Amino acid sequence: TVTGTITESASGLPIPGANVVVKGTTNGASTDFDGNYTLSEVATGDVLVFSYVGFEPQEINFSGQSTLSIALNEDAALLDEVVLIGYGSTTKQDATGAVQKVSSEEFNKGAIVSPDQLLAGKSAGVRITSSGGAPGEGSEIRIRGGSSLSANNSPLIVVDGIPLDQRGVQGVRNQLNSINPNEIEDFVILKDASATAIYGSRASNGVVLITTKKGKKGAPFKIEYGFQVSIDEAIDYVDVFTADEFRTLINENGADPSLLGNATTDWQDEIYRTAVGGIHNLTFSQGFENFSYRINYNNTNKQGILRKDLYRRNALNVNLNASLFDDHLKFALTTKGSFDDNFYADTGAIGNAIVFDPTQPIRQGGAFGGYFEFTQPNGNPEALSPRNPVALLEQNDEKARNKRNITNLNTEYRFHFLPELKFISNAGFDYSEIDGREFVEGRSATQQNGQFQKYYTGFNRNTNLDLILNYKNTIATANTEYDVTAGHSYQEFYVLSDLTETRNGMLETDPTTINRNSLESYFGRVSFDIADKYLLSASYRRDGSSRFKKENRWGNFPAASIGWKISNEEFLKDSNAVSNLKLRAGYGVTGNQEIGTNYGYLGIYSPGQSSASVQFGDTFQNTLRPEEFDENLKWEETTQYNVGLDIGFVNNAFNVTLDGYYRETEDLLARIPTAAGSNLSDLLTTNVGETLSRGVELGINTTVVSNDNFNWDLNANATLQEVEITKLNLSGDPDFFIPQGGIAGGVGNNIQLWRPGFDPTTFFVFRQVYDSEGNPIEGAYVDVNGDNQITEADRQAYKKATPDVYLGFTSNMSYKNFDFGFTLRGSLGNYVYNNVDSNTAFYEELLSPPGNFYKNGSKNLLESNFNDPQLFSDYYISRADFLKMDNMSIGYLFPMEEVQFRASFTATNVFTITKYDGLDPEISNGIDNNFYPRPRGFVLGLNFTY
Amino acid sequence: CEKDLELTPEDDRDTSADVFNDPASYRAFIAKIYAGLSLSGQEGPAGNPDLEGLDEGFSNYMRLYWSMQELTTDEALIAWNDGTLRDLHYQNWTAGNEFIRTMYTRFLYQVALCNEFLRQTTPDLLDGRGVTGELRTQIENYRAEARFMRALTYWHTMDLYANPPFVTEEDPVGAFLPEQIQRADLFTYIESELLAIEDEIIGAKQNEYGRADQAAVWTLLTKLYLNAEVYTGSARYNDAITYAERTIGAGYSIAQVPYGNLFLADNDSNGSQQETIFAIPFDGLNTQSFGGMTFMVHAPVGGSMDPDFFGINGGWAGVRTTSTFVEQFEGEENSADGRANFYTDGQTKEIDDISDFTDGYAVIKYRNVDVDGNPGSDPGDHPDTDFPMFRLADVYLMYAEAVVRGGGGSLGTAVDYVNELRERAYGNTDGNITNSDLTLDFLLSERSRELHWECHRRTDLIRFGQFSDQGIWPFKGNVPQGATTEAFRDVMPIPATDIGVNTNLEQNPGY
Repeated sequence: TVTGTITESASGLPIPGANVVVKGTTNGASTDFDGNYTLSEVATGDVLVFSYVGFEPQEINFSGQSTLSIALNEDAALLDEVVLIGYGSTTKQDATGAVQKVSSEEFNKGAIVSPDQLLAGKSAGVRITSSGGAPGEGSEIRIRGGSSLSANNSPLIVVDGIPLDQRGVQGVRNQLNSINPNEIEDFVILKDASATAIYGSRASNGVVLITTKKGKKGAPFKIEYGFQVSIDEAIDYVDVFTADEFRTLINENGADPSLLGNATTDWQDEIYRTAVGGIHNLTFSQGFENFSYRINYNNTNKQGILRKDLYRRNALNVNLNASLFDDHLKFALTTKGSFDDNFYADTGAIGNAIVFDPTQPIRQGGAFGGYFEFTQPNGNPEALSPRNPVALLEQNDEKARNKRNITNLNTEYRFHFLPELKFISNAGFDYSEIDGREFVEGRSATQQNGQFQKYYTGFNRNTNLDLILNYKNTIATANTEYDVTAGHSYQEFYVLSDLTETRNGMLETDPTTINRNSLESYFGRVSFDIADKYLLSASYRRDGSSRFKKENRWGNFPAASIGWKISNEEFLKDSNAVSNLKLRAGYGVTGNQEIGTNYGYLGIYSPGQSSASVQFGDTFQNTLRPEEFDENLKWEETTQYNVGLDIGFVNNAFNVTLDGYYRETEDLLARIPTAAGSNLSDLLTTNVGETLSRGVELGINTTVVSNDNFNWDLNANATLQEVEITKLNLSGDPDFFIPQGGIAGGVGNNIQLWRPGFDPTTFFVFRQVYDSEGNPIEGAYVDVNGDNQITEADRQAYKKATPDVYLGFTSNMSYKNFDFGFTLRGSLGNYVYNNVDSNTAFYEELLSPPGNFYKNGSKNLLESNFNDPQLFSDYYISRADFLKMDNMSIGYLFPMEEVQFRASFTATNVFTITKYDGLDPEISNGIDNNFYPRPRGFVLGLNFTY
Repeated sequence: CEKDLELTPEDDRDTSADVFNDPASYRAFIAKIYAGLSLSGQEGPAGNPDLEGLDEGFSNYMRLYWSMQELTTDEALIAWNDGTLRDLHYQNWTAGNEFIRTMYTRFLYQVALCNEFLRQTTPDLLDGRGVTGELRTQIENYRAEARFMRALTYWHTMDLYANPPFVTEEDPVGAFLPEQIQRADLFTYIESELLAIEDEIIGAKQNEYGRADQAAVWTLLTKLYLNAEVYTGSARYNDAITYAERTIGAGYSIAQVPYGNLFLADNDSNGSQQETIFAIPFDGLNTQSFGGMTFMVHAPVGGSMDPDFFGINGGWAGVRTTSTFVEQFEGEENSADGRANFYTDGQTKEIDDISDFTDGYAVIKYRNVDVDGNPGSDPGDHPDTDFPMFRLADVYLMYAEAVVRGGGGSLGTAVDYVNELRERAYGNTDGNITNSDLTLDFLLSERSRELHWECHRRTDLIRFGQFSDQGIWPFKGNVPQGATTEAFRDVMPIPATDIGVNTNLEQNPGY
């Protein structure tokens, strides 16, 4: 039996609740309120482990002592953790901006193909919405909601030092798929302008820094092999009439039953399948004194639940690190090469499966390759009928290979005569080549001129060179550390595209299109840390963009932030309860120039294609069109203020981060109606309008339990935010609005609007009138302007697609060799327009189609009883709050000598709690129409480490 | 690196500074101005559109102009749910109507194109580029045509919107706010432009097919003068007669072919071209859009109609007509008048449900087959059929109307002109009229019989005071039996969007 006291080494105070365990056993004890413990059955030669959350554990070889008192050192790792901040790094405790690092332990689990999915729900202020359930599908990533209207609202993504093209690369589902999720070490999210302004003109929507895994210095040779096999299946289908129900409907409503078929087909069931997938990762790594490497080969095959949909990746990631001359010269080479193969299924099948007559067979022999299609008396396909969904899938073949290489060479030289001074260069390129082809069988009902062929090729080339000087030193007399960085950057984007396709039965090649734009930048940053209490940081960037004329070309983007490490002040220094307290405040100006067009300030002439020529006499003359332009185009400018508080309780076992921001965007780059006659189009990209956004973000990290056998970490975050348009045109007319959000069901129909005073995703609807039983009265709307007519002047702004609040919750637990984790994600205050119901659920559509066929539709018909379409009724706007369990995972580590072996089982998209009765409440633009369903998945994972 | 920020296009696009180094650019640019009427963008049938505020197919000049001039009247109505499309027939449109808006922006876009052409081809600029000789002569011809095309569009704009924003080649291209012009002032401007180019433009029948000539200028002047009282309050029927006579004397003749042949795929060569003064040519392979003739051939086909008969792959089940129009013909659908070409099989004459294609008789007019029934060059989507924007029959009827309205001329000649048209329609003289039959009421009906679905009806009804507060047809006023509407609807609203953007604009009365 051994007794003793466990104390804090810094203060000498006893630690209650600390643990002492005999290593490798369950024999252990905890300290009482005075830090005392008693542990029996201890034998000489045993190893005792003393631990407490937030402190470094200590191991002592027991040699028969009767008392053993231990002083534990505070574990500083949490606060000393290095965080990238763009052209440099800081530590968590010295960060003054709203910066969050999400490391691989915290990532979402599952057979994840796209890196962005690792991050969903993990960070306050960051909302990641996948565009659908296709394998490798891209996501809408919004940091603090996006500040622009027509310019890009996606964050700048920097991969191992190379800023990616914000427009993505052509021909792929998601440009981030070229980065193997397995190889990502961490994401750092720069949220506020004081943190992002160092990226100047591309920083208004936040910055995501992705760092991939590297070999570690002095690490032994290691082989890792990971394998995941996944099964995905559709959770639910759109609720349409079955064949029998459809027959009854037709007969009961007096429609002509002779147009019905005799089959019973569940079209949705026919187009979806149980999809399988496999992911292999083979990694070699080793570290020497001066050199380390990590090489990873990845093979991913993942089917989509829509038949014929497949994503395949073969990728090689290589990280080499070399350090020479006593670490004075360092090289870091990262290169990612991938073959990204997308087999695209014709997603038109999704909508057609909803509306295709369930009484018709899939096949009937004869024309159209044997598929059933609705025909005119002359045997041609009906012009306005749905197409056989199975035929759409089977008769279309499209695949595209994207060959991509992202390489960066980082060189760091610490001057021999002045080791505080570093010269850093980042030379990188991102080259992506696409080769895609699509064929549609000539006998398909969609074709009238024989086989359709389409070939699309091209490349995106992004080259970047940063040259940076960094000086770090201490002014001993002032007890101040300072860090000065200055740099220059040049980046060029070059995009070339070619298209050849069948038109009118002939293969035609379009002229090559080339787009080039470039950015040149100067930047600098100074940071001071005074007495380890007061932090001060200021940065400045000057960006020049080829997209603006000389006079407007350069933009200046300053930022400043301060931090006060209150917990290092005398009065808190010894507090055990409040172990960390830091107050932060920042201000910054950022820009946005991602408007899509490259020559918007120049008057450009575009030639027309021969299919768009005019007859002069007996010949056809090609045309030449002058394009609209605004020669005064300039930077969009966002000013952002941020105040934040970091608090750690009980030796940082419980950490809270709270941030509040206020953001104004001016000279908004928006594509808006131009005054008629003043320019050469109806819409013009120009600097007009303003938006205002604000929000509060709360992040909580807590270690509930931590001891040798049992660990439990919880991570929760909540975001409250709003975005509002404050000005939209030159005249400042408050009633001015621009319709947005195109819907299916008639051309030119929009269901949303931009209007000052409203969120940019606000719906624009008629207010439905209901009878005493709560049923909608067809065509009866509130006559808002009281003119006794219902015209579009009676449409009202109502609800919006973006949430007011969204939440993330992650739990990770481990007991001995078992681990268990799950992620929940929620959203409140978001609404969805159910376009599937509004466009398919009315009698006219089902019973009186324009031809010799019937169309199926949503069974919402039986609830609304609408005869004619009521597309703009707020009846179709539904509350779409949701709580989702994104993934739940259980794993076991088999204890073995030479090889480590871990097995895990994960379920993804486990459940969704929502009142929305469409397929999925999580729709990024709030318009639910023929959405590719997100499947539920089951993943078995095996990992071997040698 | 700073010079690396000076980037200009490297593909087939060019800056305005460089594009005219190629002499072929002038012809291609004037072609774009003509294409402004028939096409919707730089790729056929869709892609790279001129306008983005509405679906590209709908944004086509001819399709919108047809919708404004026909769907608002007794001649046509449409089944579709597209936005506020049906409000055109209901006559309850507001300033927020996106079709009215896009028509307006399409007009002003067309004007802006013409202005840009004139800005880029001033004598000074041509001198600077050293343009002489034949090319110089050609460019001067193009300039006259650009001014004609601008006058044509300004006439459409004045007719529909009365007081639009006014821009000429004197204005810059940019983000400025154009001034509004009053209808009577715009009338004066259009008239002065047409008179100025009357002798500069290529002579009647001398220009290439598809391009405007002197007769097109005269016909437009005739239209301007015939409607002058609506636009300015002062009648100009004598001037209408003067210019109608000039056109009539220019060598055109009423084509002695069945009436239906005027609207077939080969109407640029089957004989009917003799009476075409100004056509908008379409072509199945080379002039493709989802507006224009593609719309006019597909949209009126539905129900049990056989698409093969129309030379297309299928109808769009949209456009029919009202019983009021059917009743313009003696004997209605069984009329001996060959212009009463209705499709009645499975269709009802009266309309119960507007969204149901089979409610209301269908009208057989534009088809993508030649006189022998063979389909055009694209037997699927896009017709070869040309749209006869100005044809001699219209000028005959304008002459007759100006005579009856007291503008001078000869009543006997007027009756002869009308009878020439009716003899073609009846195939004999059974339908002929006498001097006493030639009344204003008769002329309004006769114009509908002869020129229905050719974009004249709304203007005609307004000139005869029958469009809004007089005249009733099914679903006018958004009631099945029809009701009158308020007189302010004779003028379309200035779109709310442009009022919001351009603070110089004042809304038209009533809206």
